[in-house]
Amino acid sequence: MASPRIIMKLKVVVTRKEPGDVLVVELQHPRKPSLPPFEPGSHVDVHLPDGRVRQYSLCGDPADLSRYTIAVKREPEGRGGSAWLHDDIGVGTELPVSAPRNHFPLKQGNGPVLLLAGGIGITPLLAMAGVLNGQGKPFELHYFTRSRAVAPLLAEIEQVIDRNKLRLHFDDEPETRQDIEALLSTPPSDAQVYYCGPPGFMAAIARATEHWPEGSVHFEAFQPAILDDAPQEPFTIILRNGTEIPVPADTSALSAIRAAGVLLMASCENGVCGTCECGILEGQPIHRDAVLSKDARGHRFIPCVSRATGVLRLDL
Amino acid sequence: MTWHGRLLHIHIAPAASYEMEELAEAQLIAGRGIVGDRYYLGTGTYSPKPDVREVTLIEVEALEAIVNGEPKIPGFRAELAPEDHRRNLTTRGVPLGHLVGKRFRVGETILRAARMNFPCKYIEELLGIPGLYEGLLNRSGLNCAIEVGGIIRPGDPILPMDE
Repeated sequence: MASPRIIMKLKVVVTRKEPGDVLVVELQHPRKPSLPPFEPGSHVDVHLPDGRVRQYSLCGDPADLSRYTIAVKREPEGRGGSAWLHDDIGVGTELPVSAPRNHFPLKQGNGPVLLLAGGIGITPLLAMAGVLNGQGKPFELHYFTRSRAVAPLLAEIEQVIDRNKLRLHFDDEPETRQDIEALLSTPPSDAQVYYCGPPGFMAAIARATEHWPEGSVHFEAFQPAILDDAPQEPFTIILRNGTEIPVPADTSALSAIRAAGVLLMASCENGVCGTCECGILEGQPIHRDAVLSKDARGHRFIPCVSRATGVLRLDL
Repeated sequence: MTWHGRLLHIHIAPAASYEMEELAEAQLIAGRGIVGDRYYLGTGTYSPKPDVREVTLIEVEALEAIVNGEPKIPGFRAELAPEDHRRNLTTRGVPLGHLVGKRFRVGETILRAARMNFPCKYIEELLGIPGLYEGLLNRSGLNCAIEVGGIIRPGDPILPMDE
């Protein structure tokens, strides 16, 4: 289970509109000059006034702890969190923000790094690209959007990242288009790929990297995975102390575990943030999350969305 | 035992996990807690067991000992600032461990000591300080009820009553 994090009441010091209906928000601590450190790929939880919690990647420079920078795309079909941030906050607004956590760390290595961003998925990858760029490590950042006009943070990307390491792909500029299958067809030796973007983009990259070596593919989703419509079956969870918890077909494992009196933290309840992640001791999970890596799927479980066949023994 | 103590800091948090905020003045409500604090608002983390924690106190001497490397626990070293320890009141010169069951004055208020505070793994994880749980064992402060409410401020005297 994820550990608790300090929640700070940070002050909005800058808001800025970016192409693609994106709002950039810079946050500072009202009393302290320095915020808790973070790594590229880290996200913070923003606590909304109605109690909901949203995750946003930190896209600023990890060496500058005077502020956190997040970029929020308005999701008209979303659950209202992004619309509230776009419409109701301004300079001076106090936002409850958790200390950063990293589910999407950059591995140490000297092999080439491929960063693939789809639209607003650029946020964690921009921080990674900035750090790799500064370290002089071999990398390429591929940024895919529908057009130059809707590409958020493009001006900053072009300013921060060396031109020869940046590949821009716009659907409406045919000469810039990139065949993803071709790009990922032959994994270079010791290469690592990191990607983030909307569900269709995530699915395309997942397909195109299936043949990549284990441990070389890393991703972070900011929307739930595309789920099949298969009916959900009931199953049983067994805890370390032997407690058996039946999970009915219409109930999430998280709800059933909580109803049995186990305090399990959760945040997005959408299979995206990983807050409720726990270990599997035995059993056959049906993963429906968008956060666990291929390797982690063998021994980790996201109970807010994932299910199982028969009996699942959890490390709880 | 005669002692005269002093209130150094007042901290509250609006809900569980929220950073503590320092107050220059606090209002204590009898039978409830400190106005604005999570245990006054009902937004704190709770043990399911019945408990009294309208206001919690910790000795600055315990924090100073931790900074100086006491208790000696392999791998444990911490600097715990008054806003870090998550107790409401930081005191100097008050033998908190001797007050269980007794009443004492803080400024114009009267507190009744209920039980010694017990550290939990939660604070260790929240602050990211490995070993803090063991480091706070037997020096994690005192949980109190508020018998007589009122205003308190840093610098207020803390005095024994039931001698």
